Amino acid sequence: MNANTALIWLIAIPLAAAPIIYLAGRLSVRASTNGRSAVSAWLATLTLLSTGYPLYFVGKAVLAGSPVKLAVQAVQLRMDGIGLLLALVVLLLGLLVVLFSTAYMSGNEGEEKYYALLIAMIGSIIGLGCAADLFNLWVWFEAMAITSYMLVAFYITQPASLEAGFKYLVQSAAGSVFVLLGIVLVFSQTGTLDLLEIRNAVQSPNPLLLAAGAAFLIGFGVKSALAPMHTWLPDAHSQAPSGISAMLSGIVIEAGLVAMLRALGSISGASSSWGGLLLGFGAVNMLVGNLMALRQTQVKRLLAYSSISHMGYILLGLGIAIAFNIANGAAGAFFHLFTHALMKGLAFLAAGALLYTLHIARDDHGPLMLDDLNGASKRYPLAAFTLSIAVLALGGLPPLAGFMSKWQIFVAGAQTQNTWVIVLVIFAALNSVLSLGYYAPLVSRMYRKTPSPIVESGEPAPQTIVFPLLLLALGVVLLGFAPAWMNWLTGPAASSLLAAFGG
Amino acid sequence: MTLSISEIILITVILLLGIGFYGLLAVRNLIKVIVSLQIMVKGMMLGFVLAGRLAGNVSLGQSLAILVIVVDTIVAIIGLALAVQIRRYAGSLDVKALTTLKR
Amino acid sequence: MAPTLILLIIGVPWAGALLIWWIGDTRSHLQHTLAVLFSLAAAVASILLIPFAQSGTALTLPVGGVFGDFTFVADGMGIFLAAIAAIIGCFAVIFSVNYMHGEAQLGRYYALVLFFIGAMAGLVLASSLLLMFFFWEITALCSYALIAFNNDDPKAVYGGIKALLMTQLGGIGLLVGAILAYSNLGSYDLNLFIKNSGSLPAGALAVAAFGFLIAAAAKSAQFPFQTWLPDAMEAPTPISALIHAATMVNAGVYLLARFYPAFESVPGWKITVVIVGVITALLAGMMALVSNDLKRVLAYSTVSQLGYMVYAIGAGGIFASQFHLLSHSIFKALLFLAAGAVIHSIGTRDMRLMGALGRQMPVTRTVFVIGALALAGIPILNGFWSKELILEAGLLHGPVWAYAIMVFTAGLTALYTFRCVWMVFYGKARSSLHGHDAGIMMKFALIPLAFGALTTWILAGPFSHLLETSLPFHEIEAATTMRFIQEVISAPATLVALGAIALGLAAWWQRENLASLTRAFQGIGKAAEKSFGFEAINTAVTTAFEQGAETLRNTQTGLLSWNILGILAGLIIVLAILAAGG
Repeated sequence: MNANTALIWLIAIPLAAAPIIYLAGRLSVRASTNGRSAVSAWLATLTLLSTGYPLYFVGKAVLAGSPVKLAVQAVQLRMDGIGLLLALVVLLLGLLVVLFSTAYMSGNEGEEKYYALLIAMIGSIIGLGCAADLFNLWVWFEAMAITSYMLVAFYITQPASLEAGFKYLVQSAAGSVFVLLGIVLVFSQTGTLDLLEIRNAVQSPNPLLLAAGAAFLIGFGVKSALAPMHTWLPDAHSQAPSGISAMLSGIVIEAGLVAMLRALGSISGASSSWGGLLLGFGAVNMLVGNLMALRQTQVKRLLAYSSISHMGYILLGLGIAIAFNIANGAAGAFFHLFTHALMKGLAFLAAGALLYTLHIARDDHGPLMLDDLNGASKRYPLAAFTLSIAVLALGGLPPLAGFMSKWQIFVAGAQTQNTWVIVLVIFAALNSVLSLGYYAPLVSRMYRKTPSPIVESGEPAPQTIVFPLLLLALGVVLLGFAPAWMNWLTGPAASSLLAAFGG
Repeated sequence: MTLSISEIILITVILLLGIGFYGLLAVRNLIKVIVSLQIMVKGMMLGFVLAGRLAGNVSLGQSLAILVIVVDTIVAIIGLALAVQIRRYAGSLDVKALTTLKR
Repeated sequence: MAPTLILLIIGVPWAGALLIWWIGDTRSHLQHTLAVLFSLAAAVASILLIPFAQSGTALTLPVGGVFGDFTFVADGMGIFLAAIAAIIGCFAVIFSVNYMHGEAQLGRYYALVLFFIGAMAGLVLASSLLLMFFFWEITALCSYALIAFNNDDPKAVYGGIKALLMTQLGGIGLLVGAILAYSNLGSYDLNLFIKNSGSLPAGALAVAAFGFLIAAAAKSAQFPFQTWLPDAMEAPTPISALIHAATMVNAGVYLLARFYPAFESVPGWKITVVIVGVITALLAGMMALVSNDLKRVLAYSTVSQLGYMVYAIGAGGIFASQFHLLSHSIFKALLFLAAGAVIHSIGTRDMRLMGALGRQMPVTRTVFVIGALALAGIPILNGFWSKELILEAGLLHGPVWAYAIMVFTAGLTALYTFRCVWMVFYGKARSSLHGHDAGIMMKFALIPLAFGALTTWILAGPFSHLLETSLPFHEIEAATTMRFIQEVISAPATLVALGAIALGLAAWWQRENLASLTRAFQGIGKAAEKSFGFEAINTAVTTAFEQGAETLRNTQTGLLSWNILGILAGLIIVLAILAAGG
């Protein structure tokens, strides 16, 4: 298959499949007697699997270094290393989430909407990864945002999830206004929206372009949960269905970050402080996320705050790459993006498995509390074990993936030979230790010998829920032993980033 | 003192943005929050028109403004739908009642 | 052959860990058997590796990119520590067959023990700094999980998490040193690092030197990180013997000894190492004297003896430190396992409830006394020879005040050791607890170790030869065992130390008459019981973080307008920075 044709399919399949999934799901639910149907879930799985086929050809071309692009009228799409990484992660995680959701969402009212929206979100994230002009970038970004609003507020009869969805929507939309402001400023100054053309046009500092950069940082920053714009995240991540929490944490906030990098890269000529700003946000994010998580009592809220701190590590790597032109920083950041998708995806899905068996299967929409985990290993050995692996990996303990990706970022920090960056690396390492202060008690809790009453009376977890957990856990462990396995993916992504920032 | 047409538009844009943002900070009714958001976005639509004029590409600027209208309407619809559901299940449209999730 | 054996020493226990975890807790008999078999296999592999000692890289696993190559080296220092880990690990597992009989979640226990044995061997055989740090952290992970094995007990969980956090905190020093070395040399190979340490910028080398010292201090429970080890005593006793006496806590000493040639010339490094060792040995000795918990006494004495080793490294006595490490691993594992037999039989760790147990458990008493005599440094047990070598090295190359304190501590060691033996096995029974002697599997572990405590000093000659031939940068002089014996006997330092030990003994003998003296030192005793205020520092730091976190949580008000204000604040900050920096 021609790579350019493959790119069309890559984007078209999920976007075209989303309404079909909805219609087919709706019809089969109506036809069924008990109001449930697995049609939409299987169609979604099929869609994601068939999207993998064009991705293979696109990926081959991108890795071979040949340009993959597509122009539909005025809309330009260009695939590069970063887009490929994003597409791969979102498909991988999406597939596991769909598998996980077959049992988790089964019998919910509007199940077919769930899958349709999820597939649409995946399609828009793939599109976001290869948008080549600013406005196009914003449209894909909004498409992703809109689908995620509806998914966060999926339980439309639960006040808590409505509240989370509404706050998410308002903050995100306010951020999106800033993105528009940035686009307007850039457009008025350069007269073009194509990212490459803007970069060639912007060579000198200009106050309006600086303001545009600030608007991009803030606008996309809301979506990628930079402190102090992070306040929507714990609510949304803890209230969404667990599969969606995994998607939000594993890829959606990172997609916001990629959008920010694309926009900032185009005006990188206007200032040299972008890298420094990212480093600053990274440091604040790590500390805020960890401290907020330290005393949490709800599992999913704790994991949500930990996402904020992990965003900090990614920002640290990107900041090093942009400020000091060190490819390892970007490669480490993208590697951490990948491992974080696995680890946090696993953590949310495993917590979701427990939430499902202990609460949702009993028609209880209360949150999963830390106390509910006491002795969970007794009845749910696999869920407890994989959750332990996930949180220990998040805390950066070997032989798990999180250790290796953090290591790569830290090495990049040392390669700058800059005292302040090395101090920042030490600060990041201290934060990892701090994060173990809440991960380790969580693990200990699950291996108590006397289970909590709610665990004692729990039903066993369905197979389809446990299977994705095992796959993700295997990935987390294997990458801990063979970290260089992802170099083929993170290397090109890093060089794309450096190229975008004129390195 | 006479203002050029560009300057008038620019002032309007800044005013709309400011009013909308102030609204987000100050109003307590959820519907009004959505309205404030809309005011900001309307400002940005004008902004695109203005940017097109400044960059010498009026048609592109205006077509972008129309696209913004399309996307933003969807956001507004979802926002209002959520507000309706909140009124129905939480019993209030007050922002201050919407603080069960915190800490 | 050597590469295969290295892979076996690490791989066999790890495979065993997986297998035992997989077969599940319903077949506990099979679990016990398999654990013994796999640990035995690892021990055999480690002994077979000894003849293959060489200084070059033995095994390279290409990884690529920024992760370098995972390389292993089978030199004397690594092999002997790997052998200690595997052999003592084997004894600990054999001992556990009796000790852990009937416990729940055996699979988790044995899986973690075997995982630890493999990781510990990997740590000392790895020659890539990244790989070393990798195994370093795995041992910390296993240590945490095993201390907190009984997760229902809040004290065990607290102890485990404390151990994890403190060793991780120190581990940052190793991390920073390793990444600085890599960014300057482009390789993680530690022999390359030692060889080219002079070519590093002085600042980077100093950061690495003191970073490694911090890491070593945290791992080996040295001042100011000594507080985690006593709390780690909540672990099942075989774990205390294996991880917290014989192997993992030695990793810090190993690290310092391994990189001594690289950091020797860093200004102030050697004297700092001496100071850390001296302070630790003295403080921990005093705490051991006042503690009433059998395992804690042993833990404090471990800390104190590790202080001796660190002190020896600071004074340049690499061989002495490694030799004492060997002796200490054996007699301290013996002491802990014997203590485990006591605790298992009477169900308490409080020495005030013991007494006169010797008649009920004669075998345990005999081996414990052998271990205690070695710890006190009584001739001709292994602890005597290695401690004398350390003191001699200290007198020759270290400051005199440090030597004086260490000799005093030797006396202190004798004093607290006799106090402990007396309170447990002799005197009058202070409660109605009835003990039974160690089980058959326990004896299988105890008796060989007691034999080792009596005899391993004979290995001094071959051991020095092993280190000399395979360590190109350490300038260790090989000699025969006879030569060492003559050296120790003829050195005046020996008499001084023996005098101090005798004084310590006498002080215990005459404790009634010295009561007035004891009162004079009551203040110190009180301070020692409160661990000299270090525990208070820990508590203060934890409380500060918790309160900070609790305060910060108030910023998440849940109010929409407040959240929007956050966006505004972010915008203003970014604009301000951009305006300032352009």
